[in-house]
Amino acid sequence: MLTFYLKVNGSTRTVLCHPTKTLLDVLREDFQLTASKECCGKGECGSCSVLLNGEVVCSCLILISQVINQEIITCEGVGLTTNMDIIQESFGAEGATQCGYCTPGIIVSAKAFLNGIDYVPTEDEIKTALGGNLCRCTGYTKIIKAIRTAAEKELVIKGTVTN
Amino acid sequence: MLVSEIEVVTPATLKECLTMIANEDMNTRLIAGGTDAVVRMKEGKWRPSTWVNIKGLRELRYIIEKDGAIHIGPLTTHTDIIKSSLLQKKANVLVEASREVGAIQMQNVGTIGGNIGTASPAGDTLPALYVLNTVLELSTRNSKRIVPIEEFFTGPGRTILKKNEMITNIIVQPHGENEIGIFQKLGPRKAQSISIVNVAISLLMEKDRQVLSGKIAFGSVAPTIIRAKKCESILTLHPLTDEMIQNVAKVAWKEVMPITDVRATAEYRRDMASSLLERGLYRLMRRWENK
Ligand SMILES: Cc1cc2nc3c(=O)[nH]c(=O)nc-3n(C[C@H](O)[C@H](O)[C@H](O)COP(=O)(O)OP(=O)(O)OC[C@H]3O[C@@H](n4cnc5c(N)ncnc54)[C@H](O)[C@@H]3O)c2cc1C
Ligand code: FES
Ligand code: FES
Repeated sequence: MLTFYLKVNGSTRTVLCHPTKTLLDVLREDFQLTASKECCGKGECGSCSVLLNGEVVCSCLILISQVINQEIITCEGVGLTTNMDIIQESFGAEGATQCGYCTPGIIVSAKAFLNGIDYVPTEDEIKTALGGNLCRCTGYTKIIKAIRTAAEKELVIKGTVTN
Repeated sequence: MLVSEIEVVTPATLKECLTMIANEDMNTRLIAGGTDAVVRMKEGKWRPSTWVNIKGLRELRYIIEKDGAIHIGPLTTHTDIIKSSLLQKKANVLVEASREVGAIQMQNVGTIGGNIGTASPAGDTLPALYVLNTVLELSTRNSKRIVPIEEFFTGPGRTILKKNEMITNIIVQPHGENEIGIFQKLGPRKAQSISIVNVAISLLMEKDRQVLSGKIAFGSVAPTIIRAKKCESILTLHPLTDEMIQNVAKVAWKEVMPITDVRATAEYRRDMASSLLERGLYRLMRRWENK
């Protein structure tokens, strides 16, 4: 067992665990941040997606030893019910979530994607950005719509697009 | 060995790393992005006593032009490659290949060194590296050797790399003015899928559709990547008309030697190898004519 320091959702956190524990298990078991979900455990479904230094990654394939002092943002860090992000509001408004298992991972992927662009993305661009996230409920249509809506709203707020 | 019993050491420098892997008493394996390593560890296939974690070794993450070649550090991620304007301009076939590796989550952490190190016959950057005449620099604590990528792989998951050795530089030959390249892949799903067949093509053009020389490398149709030498040799015989392209594709059907596995039958792979090559050559000719 070793002690590891990392930055999660803006605050420095400490964990005592074995060095090959995955970041996902640390988030869920040691930090009680249970938005990130384990589904496949091998990088295929994206339900464990988090931001590592601003880039979306699968936390089920990253060892705690590999993220010492690094910056992690989980879906909780994107927003909670009291301070929801525009993306999260759009998911609610558009009905883009059903069982909700995939949703935190998709919100995180969408956040990374929208952070990197300053225009309203096309459907194809959204599909590419979400290629690593599977959803077995929604059929994706509403998810794609919610992300477009969120992108439009963000641009209105930034003043780049007028409605 | 249980996962919880495996140790992780994180060298601060390359020198320290080479010293660690030189230790004969330790059963070590490198872990870079971990996208192959962690999956294999969970499956019980790779359980070293110690992971040597090189993810943070900044000195091995670079893309630079030097003496007419492009040097790529093994810790360069697929995302780094996709975003590199130098590679987009002078080795676009590699950029196209990295774009096909997994989805964004894999591209952000997966490295080119790891893609080579895993030595999968389906590794997407490998055919691209073959047609870019890549050589690898392999280093130990007190020696270095330069090996052409063709000589690096000895079978699925097997390479000539010694226990105390690692890839420290990947040197590709950039494309000149009249050189064009393309990467094509067929997988079961668009994102996150291992190739059923993939192919990289690089052509040196004269004018119109006349090819001066060409290289074609297929993945997933043999125990390692293969160059389609017969196809290459007929590329230059006549201008690459649509009819010629179909002929080259027919030769490819005979030249590849795929096997049947969980992802596809040998027959399907053969058909798809031929079709991917045909499609790739069509697209390349269209790009060339619009250049
Ligand atoms: C869901 C999923 C989808 C994927 N899709 C694709 C795909 O479409 N195409 C594809 O090609 N791959 C794919 N992969 C495989 C993987 O992502 C790539 O091979 C990636 O490039 C591996 O890089 P890494 O840094 O994660 O390697 P690691 O897992 O860290 O290492 C892999 C191997 O390489 C060795 N190694 C690493 N660095 C070096 C070095 N410098 N010198 C010597 N040996 C070294 C390690 O010891 C290990 O044996 C996928 C993986 C997953 C989980
Ligand atoms: S649980 Fe990590 S990708 Fe599926
Ligand atoms: S809402 Fe159920 S998996 Fe996406």
